[in-house]
Amino acid sequence: ASAVTLKLNHNNPKDHQLHKSMEFMAERVKELTNGDVKIRVYANAQLGTQRESLELVQNGTLAMAKSNASELEAFEESYSAMNLPYIFVSEDHYYNVLSGEIGDDILMASKDKGFIGLTYYVEGARSFYANKEIHTPADLKGMKIRVQPSESAIRMVELLGGNPTPISWGELYSALKQGVVDGAENNPSALTSARHGEVSKFYSNDGHTMIPSVVVMSTKVWDSLDENQQKALKQAAKDSMLFHREAWNEQTRKDIEQAKKELDVKFIEVEKGPFIEAVMPMHEEASKKSARIADLVERIKAAAK
Amino acid sequence: MEWQATITLFSIFIVLMALSVPISFAIGIATVFTFMVINMSFDQSIFIVAQQMASGLDSFTLLAIPFFILAGNIMNRGGIAMRLIEFAKILGGRLPGSLAHCNVLANMMFGAISGSAVASAAAVGGVMAPIQKKEGYDPAFSAAVNIASCPTGLLIPPSTTFIVYSLITNGTSIAALFVAGYVPGILMGLGLMTVAGVIAKKRGYPLAPKPSWNEVMQKSCDAVLPLGLIFIIMGGIIGGIFTATEASAVAVVYTLFLALVWYREITIRDLPKIILESAVTTSIVLLMIGCSIAMSKAMAFSDIPFTISDALLSLSENPLVILLAINLALLVIGTFMDMTPALLIFTPIFLPVVQDLGMDPVHFGVMMTFNLCIGICTPPVGSALFVGCSVGKVAISKVLKPLLPFYAVLVVLLLAVTYIPQLSLFLPSFFLGYGG
Amino acid sequence: MKQAVRLVNGLLGSLVVLIFTILVVCVVWQVFSRYVLGTPSTTTDEIARFLFMWIAFTGAAYTLGQKRHLAIDVISLWMGGRSLRNIRVLVLVIIGAFVSVVMLYGGWQLMAETLKTGQMTPALRIPMGYVYGAIPFSGLTMLFYCVVLIIELLDPNTPFEDEIVDTSTPMSPSSSSPAGQHK
Ligand code: NA
Ligand code: NA
Repeated sequence: ASAVTLKLNHNNPKDHQLHKSMEFMAERVKELTNGDVKIRVYANAQLGTQRESLELVQNGTLAMAKSNASELEAFEESYSAMNLPYIFVSEDHYYNVLSGEIGDDILMASKDKGFIGLTYYVEGARSFYANKEIHTPADLKGMKIRVQPSESAIRMVELLGGNPTPISWGELYSALKQGVVDGAENNPSALTSARHGEVSKFYSNDGHTMIPSVVVMSTKVWDSLDENQQKALKQAAKDSMLFHREAWNEQTRKDIEQAKKELDVKFIEVEKGPFIEAVMPMHEEASKKSARIADLVERIKAAAK
Repeated sequence: MEWQATITLFSIFIVLMALSVPISFAIGIATVFTFMVINMSFDQSIFIVAQQMASGLDSFTLLAIPFFILAGNIMNRGGIAMRLIEFAKILGGRLPGSLAHCNVLANMMFGAISGSAVASAAAVGGVMAPIQKKEGYDPAFSAAVNIASCPTGLLIPPSTTFIVYSLITNGTSIAALFVAGYVPGILMGLGLMTVAGVIAKKRGYPLAPKPSWNEVMQKSCDAVLPLGLIFIIMGGIIGGIFTATEASAVAVVYTLFLALVWYREITIRDLPKIILESAVTTSIVLLMIGCSIAMSKAMAFSDIPFTISDALLSLSENPLVILLAINLALLVIGTFMDMTPALLIFTPIFLPVVQDLGMDPVHFGVMMTFNLCIGICTPPVGSALFVGCSVGKVAISKVLKPLLPFYAVLVVLLLAVTYIPQLSLFLPSFFLGYGG
Repeated sequence: MKQAVRLVNGLLGSLVVLIFTILVVCVVWQVFSRYVLGTPSTTTDEIARFLFMWIAFTGAAYTLGQKRHLAIDVISLWMGGRSLRNIRVLVLVIIGAFVSVVMLYGGWQLMAETLKTGQMTPALRIPMGYVYGAIPFSGLTMLFYCVVLIIELLDPNTPFEDEIVDTSTPMSPSSSSPAGQHK
């Protein structure tokens, strides 16, 4: 095949680590193919939201998009296995699953639905934050916790005793500030990049979910590349995954430092046992949905040993 | 390629508009062809346009638009607008050209509540024009005052313009935008009153007779409940009871309560008609938003924003000059384009440029809205101008000269809003801690 | 034909009023359930968003039937009579082409493809294709109105009332004008 320029859309600003990692991938694939394959990265959802760009990828209108495992659940059920709370026991377990056979399996699962995954970008663990210390699920009782409008996020907060409240991201800062909701859940970077640390002073490190971003590519466009181009693209994607992991973890350390020092946020280490116990029913519920998810859940758990 | 796409987009759009194809469809059709110019297949082009038309509307924050429009219609029909105008007469009564001040104040209050420039131009102008004529005011002057002041309600919260802006900028805080609009909106009103006062004094327009103490009391009391809506909305948002979007639904319930139960000026039976009328107004905007979002995607896919922002940045490195250039561009755009499409199409182009200069998105939103407020008062395309002339029963050509001094004061205030960020950002940082 | 138009107007109008009413109730319930009951509804957000898309598209179709979409009518300043009538027909043909190709056909593709790949809405878990169904539905009704309006214009027995595109004249000071849309 001849030289191509692939458009890659994502919804983060240009100074975000995810953007830099995608630029790294673009640089890498250009090197590997001597400029034969180029990627142009569009920041700030210029070409559409995550859902819209996924539909365009399925249709072949857009070559590539970045989404995340949570959003991808709506398109390919396999992703729901990795969105389960406490399915991963450590950061190493998480990264090994993503970079290994199970991760590849999930990336390719959607091939006949018009897209494949190229790589994952880790985004750390998500935890609860509020203007109140949360040590146990009992502390969450009656609290209005902002969730993304997804079935699993809603179920998780319910099982932990909180009141799940869908609020759009754009209204979340003022909703936290004014007390429309009592808390939210995200990774520590939300404290600094979205300035939530100004309005929520306690971050309880319960690390309930680890939800990676995923770079997906249109099956149609993938098939139009020749074998060498495909190999180079895959290689560049893998390289950027490792690059991203290191950069992200470094960034998270800085974010936490900044949140503590400049925003006066207190980080609380919690006993995870009661949290894990409370959400365990979700693992069985998910496995009951389909044999495919049951198999993935089992394999992910086996990989922890 | 970028230039080919740019030329295709704008030339098809202009030809269709000249044929009097409704704006939404003109935008949609130009968009399909633009996608095809950048090597998308026909099927892909129509797929993405259909998707963007629908998906562009998939946003909870946009819900405020139908709700504020409905609330505005209920106020018009339910006797709430009338009470505000009576109150404005008391406030503006003893200044030279009292009826002109009354018109501006009524627009500020009505627009503040309804969030619609055109609804308020129609409601307030419709009532005021005959009274002003009887008192010897030049109808062209009265219409000019009404036209220039009706956009104040787009800056004074709540404002659906800010909601649309938040949507296209991926969630700039609506609460912050709302609070940010107060000072510029009120400045706009005061600036216009100053000019109107000077002109009225020169022409010797009469002062209103001094109202009796009883009258003052009674009309002020009458206005308490309608004005209470402002406190409910802003208090509810600041007090954490509801979000800015939800406030719009609360506004519907409150105006319904006033109109149906308290004043009893409408009955349940009138509601379907009011709702349907609101739905028509709503869907005109929403189809336009859907199509404009598709168009902004076509521009993004063909890298038009890069081209324009490169051109802007090559102009000068001085932020003051770039902001001036953007303002001039927007003033020109505003002459021939309505506010919503202009906002939808040009925000994604200009915002990245000014953010590189370190401008706050809330500040830019206020500046852009202020700028386009002038645009809706100018020919050839200006909805405030059209409605203002039609309710004031004056020809557009007659009203232009009296409008000139008002344009001048608006441009001066626009520059102030552009170059003094505190006018927009002080209140949000004070009340909401915005910007830290 | 008059009866068919009246029927479609009535059905669309009632649908729009019904959805609008549910929409208000839905968002008010969202505030009430969260602030008063303390147990926020997790579904009103999504229901409201999807009803909203339906209202936009059915409303837009109804509005086309009422000839209320906003246009800039400079052309009637330059010509009148028969040539203006011909331009009006041309405009309706252009609109008809757009709604049938993009909204009806393209919207149908979008709906069918979304149903086929099985995308679900995140909270309610209903197929996203049903939400997108609003586009082809609206396209079909708009096409109907285009045909009706063209027939009316071409009929030499009906007087040529030039009102296809309403410029920005408000219906009356008390109703919100067709230009009242951007607020
Ligand atoms: Na307002
Ligand atoms: Na204008």
